Amino acid sequence: MLPKFTYSRPGSLVQVANLAARPGTRVHAGGTDLLGCLRDGVFGAESLVSLSGLSDLRGVTPTSGGGLRIGALTTIAEIAANDAISDRYPALAQAAASVASPQLRNQGTIGGNLCQKPRCWYYRGDFHCLRKGGDTCYAFDGENQYHCILGGDGCYIVHPSDTAPALAALGARVTAVSAGGRRTIAVEKLHVPPSTDPQRETALEPGEILTEVILPPPPSGLRSSYRKIRERASWDFAVVGVALALVFDGHTVTTANIFLSGAAPVPWRARQAEEVLNGSNLDGATVERAAHAAVADAEPLAHNAYKVPLFAGLIKEQLTTLGGGT
Amino acid sequence: MARDRNRTDKPGKGVTRRGFLGTVGAGAVAAVTGLPRPGEAVPEITEPKGMVETALSINGRMHRLLVEPRWTLLFVLREQMGITGTKIGCARGECGACTVLMDGSPRYACMTLALEAQGHEITTVEGLMDGEELGDVQQAFVEEDAFQCGYCTAGQVVAAQGLLAANPSPTVDEIRAGMAGNLCRCGAYVHIFRAVERAAKGRGKGGGR
Amino acid sequence: MTRRDSYWAEGPLPETPSPQSSPAPWGTTRVVGTRRPRIDAYERVSGTAVYPSDVVLPGMLYGAILRCPHAHALVKRVDASRAEGMPGVRAVMTGRSKVADLDWPYSRRDHSKLFDPHCRHEGEAVAAVAADTPQQAADALRAIQVDYEVLPFVADERDAVAAGAPKIRDGGNLAGEPEVSERGDVAKGFAEADVVLERSYRCAYEIHAPMECHGCVARWDGNRLTVWESTQGVFRIQATLAGMLHLPLTDVRVIGHYMGGGFGSKLQAGKYTVIASLLARVTARPVKLFLSRQETMLCVGNRPGAEIRLKAGVKKDGTLTAFELSSLTSPGAYEVGAGLLDWLARDLYTCPNVRTESRVAFINAGPARPMRAPGHPQGAWALEQMIDELAEAIQMDPVELRLRNVPKVSQARGGKPYTSTGLARCLEEGAKAFGWSEARKKQQQNGRYRRGVGSAACLWIAGGGGPPSTVIVKLFADGSVNLNMGASDIGTGTKSVMAMVVSEELGVNPDQIRVENADTATTQFATPSGGSKTVPTESPAVRDAAIAVKKQLLALVAEEKGWDPADLELDGQAVVSRTDPQRRLPFAEISRLQRQRVIVGVGYRGPNPEDAVVNPFAAQFCEVEVDTNTGEVRVLRFLGAHDSGRVLNRLTYDNQVFGGITMGIGFGLTEERVLDRRQTGKMLNANLHSYRMPTALDVPADMVSLPIELGDTECNTTGAKGLGEPVTIPTAAAIANAVHDAVGVRVTDTPITPSRLIGLLAVAHKEG
Repeated sequence: MLPKFTYSRPGSLVQVANLAARPGTRVHAGGTDLLGCLRDGVFGAESLVSLSGLSDLRGVTPTSGGGLRIGALTTIAEIAANDAISDRYPALAQAAASVASPQLRNQGTIGGNLCQKPRCWYYRGDFHCLRKGGDTCYAFDGENQYHCILGGDGCYIVHPSDTAPALAALGARVTAVSAGGRRTIAVEKLHVPPSTDPQRETALEPGEILTEVILPPPPSGLRSSYRKIRERASWDFAVVGVALALVFDGHTVTTANIFLSGAAPVPWRARQAEEVLNGSNLDGATVERAAHAAVADAEPLAHNAYKVPLFAGLIKEQLTTLGGGT
Repeated sequence: MARDRNRTDKPGKGVTRRGFLGTVGAGAVAAVTGLPRPGEAVPEITEPKGMVETALSINGRMHRLLVEPRWTLLFVLREQMGITGTKIGCARGECGACTVLMDGSPRYACMTLALEAQGHEITTVEGLMDGEELGDVQQAFVEEDAFQCGYCTAGQVVAAQGLLAANPSPTVDEIRAGMAGNLCRCGAYVHIFRAVERAAKGRGKGGGR
Repeated sequence: MTRRDSYWAEGPLPETPSPQSSPAPWGTTRVVGTRRPRIDAYERVSGTAVYPSDVVLPGMLYGAILRCPHAHALVKRVDASRAEGMPGVRAVMTGRSKVADLDWPYSRRDHSKLFDPHCRHEGEAVAAVAADTPQQAADALRAIQVDYEVLPFVADERDAVAAGAPKIRDGGNLAGEPEVSERGDVAKGFAEADVVLERSYRCAYEIHAPMECHGCVARWDGNRLTVWESTQGVFRIQATLAGMLHLPLTDVRVIGHYMGGGFGSKLQAGKYTVIASLLARVTARPVKLFLSRQETMLCVGNRPGAEIRLKAGVKKDGTLTAFELSSLTSPGAYEVGAGLLDWLARDLYTCPNVRTESRVAFINAGPARPMRAPGHPQGAWALEQMIDELAEAIQMDPVELRLRNVPKVSQARGGKPYTSTGLARCLEEGAKAFGWSEARKKQQQNGRYRRGVGSAACLWIAGGGGPPSTVIVKLFADGSVNLNMGASDIGTGTKSVMAMVVSEELGVNPDQIRVENADTATTQFATPSGGSKTVPTESPAVRDAAIAVKKQLLALVAEEKGWDPADLELDGQAVVSRTDPQRRLPFAEISRLQRQRVIVGVGYRGPNPEDAVVNPFAAQFCEVEVDTNTGEVRVLRFLGAHDSGRVLNRLTYDNQVFGGITMGIGFGLTEERVLDRRQTGKMLNANLHSYRMPTALDVPADMVSLPIELGDTECNTTGAKGLGEPVTIPTAAAIANAVHDAVGVRVTDTPITPSRLIGLLAVAHKEG
């Protein structure tokens, strides 16, 4: 059952930002993650401030520079069905289509998807873990089959978002607005690793509202994809996933961006794999090398070593598919 | 059978279908004047302990209610209004039994605050009926035996309605994907696929709405 | 009996008065066996069917239960003072409340208190409240302070039997001595074998997870209690409530017209039923108490997981020479039953030398409840994979190996014959319809995606039904009919099937038949619906009642018109002569019927044949595709060939077959209860997103149901055997066999997830 809270639905962003800055306030976008967390007692809220009065935060529009602006309240379903996104940024469309279930895609927003809380079952359960202000990560010695193999530091969650790695690979930025002004943050920098602060998921400050996602114009020769492996075919978070954004010049990869989901507490940039690919021709040997380079530094926990071959297999598959036309 | 989605006040619908449940939640359904209309902002901050006035459009009919901010649409439908076709299975967006249409799109009533439903058209399984006649998707579910215990069925039917509105002639794989937000523990999925196909075919022949 | 006694037989030997008729088997049928939508389909698709969780009564309060958050703890102190004063709170109840000082029978062998200070599993009831709204009830629970002494726990049966394990029950962690069954001489059997294999298998714990959570609405009128309960058997609930609350049976009315699934978890009352009744009593208000999804996953049952070690011997010609099976499982913290893992090894195939040893250990987890074919899917997971491996070892087709060992008698019951066994025909005709031989002969595959086919077979230990059952059929003056029976329709279509039986006898269109059922005040005693026994139990009683009506009506007409009663029959609207088309008397013209307005027929369920066993049999076949890069398994198609006796409604029959396969896909591929084994013992996936039941995308659209009807005239008067359990028994094993056929890897642990398979593929790749 949900705890008590007050509720407001202002008609202006300034009002929202002012209210959201108050202690004990949570922002309600689609509500799919927020209400679940409140219901499970992951955190409390004295008041909710709803964004649903802000209709201009919804929709996909071209930017003057040839990219796209996606309002933060645009639903995941709208992104999955948007032709401009499917044509030019397939990684994002594929990521959106793989989120949760049809109903949750109709309800959940891109802003909420980027800001969602981890799905670690200790964090979601009634365990006073490090991320909730306790002094231990239960996953480290516990049932950690779905936990991270990279980037763990005191806390061993994986970041649950599918769209975040896709957007990071595509070089997207978000705009954050507060009473004090606005700033933009690269999606790649949006998420906070536990080494910086294990109790925080994003770089947003209290009172800062994520209002839009800006996709840069797709470079010529860009091919992108996102795929995740899950334990059931729908309505499941990534066990492992990979977002690829490769820029080709003829047969040669000039720039490779690879971000992993299900790997680390933040969308994980696989730099070593990118280095293998940059300037390469995506031949079989290169693909194999890149796939293994992506997880070369993995430090599996007791029950998730399987993720290493799984990532390698998935990345191999996705690189082969993207390289298919070369 | 062609029908008007926006009809209002058809007899024999909603609460009135269930005689003995008719008195439910009377304390919370207040005849208050001066309520906000759909789309208007609610007061900037609600009172912490208080009930909030709201107006919900359910199956084409406007209902004026007092709700706690934490009440979900599902709770208000079932326990306050007695519109119990919509079921509760998990209360956390993990089963689909509470699927309703909001402006024509399927979503989970358990993960929707009643206040967030204000200003939107809500359709429940009862709203797919034409008086006492079953809607075409419901009829297809009957003919294909697309359920067993029937508890997830309202959600399945409503999800199928939303799916067919968005994609009038889905392939089997599109049906599987479109129905993948509704669990059926009895495992009637194969018959559900056939029912959705049947409903789509019926509409293709001009049989549905 | 020991722990093998189960939910279909309890207490004194069941019996009902003798049926009044002993009709010949149906020949050609008009209605029985056809495809017919359910008679209550309208209610189920329109939203008008009132499930127990839909019940909303004037003045109703909402109950909620405070549950122990620890796997094992002692309640030292409960301070509910703050909760008592909270807005909307009408009652708070704890272990110190006099009214709640009751023994709770977890089973006939094992009791605790309703609010027991010794909490042996996470989710054990500690206190309860009733409030005006469920939100207020939840607020009140949060305000109750409990001091716990947290005790050492055991969260896995392997840990329970390990040296130095914390002792969690006074008598030790084992529920009695190992149960041993033995026939022949296994040592001799293994010595005679050409091939002997020994393997270990593990099955994860499964949760029933019906879509409607467990719960009820309780209301008192003076000393009379009415409960709307989501249950498979209203009379079982009535008996528990009457016993615990010291009420006459007649003062406890339990209603369960509709219910949202049970799969065995709703065969019995829960503590919540008693708690709701007590809260309603002390508040003098109706109380609705439905568990949250999380509570249901902790507290109201599971399919016990198992460690199974199986050693098997076979000769080159396919003769099975010996099985030796040892198993370890757990019913949770109480002795509530966790058996039958070995039944298939003992009874499915002809084998002269069999020894099984079953160990049951206690762990600090929620009590098991029977789940759809208790023990059998786990047993099939082991046995049917072993059969596949034996076949491979002697280079024989696995279907052929099974066919060579089809038994004629029940070896585990001292050689009693089956009334019918369709095992051979299920295998033969199923294989043919599936295209088994062609699919097996496929080309060598080297690509990323590999396809494979698998099969598995089963029987189900019960499925014959039996007494008691008393049914009433009423024929009204206009020829419409009321069928009154106590049994619940748990979603299998019981009401519709029984209406078809009445229709078959009386000629009345099934749509003219209303069914009144599952209400202890207005219907007659029936056992809970479950165990694949509802149709074989109730349908003969229904037929008997319909025949009683028919006899009376024909006698009336014979007397009235002076016609020979033996020459008369019913066509649904009239009494007609078999021989003289001029003799036809419409119901409206039968003056005695018009005067007395109703004819009442009472039917009973007679006993089963004494010297024969009634079991259903099945074989299932599937094709899968495995992605060797990722270990993802896609089920492409399934075929279920089932001998469940006569098919009464082909539409609901097929639905059962597909539904059982779907549940089996979950058992094989996705479902697994996860406990925090090393740190707290708490359940980590007590929800429906990380406890993964199959979605529409996890099951193939290509499923085929192939009924095998042998015309069993011995089992009962309708010829029907049970279907609900066998449909899910062989499924997971068939998938595992298909995965092996595809990629050459034997997955011995459920579920076959990508994470599990990718590791095995990597090992196989290295070794290969």
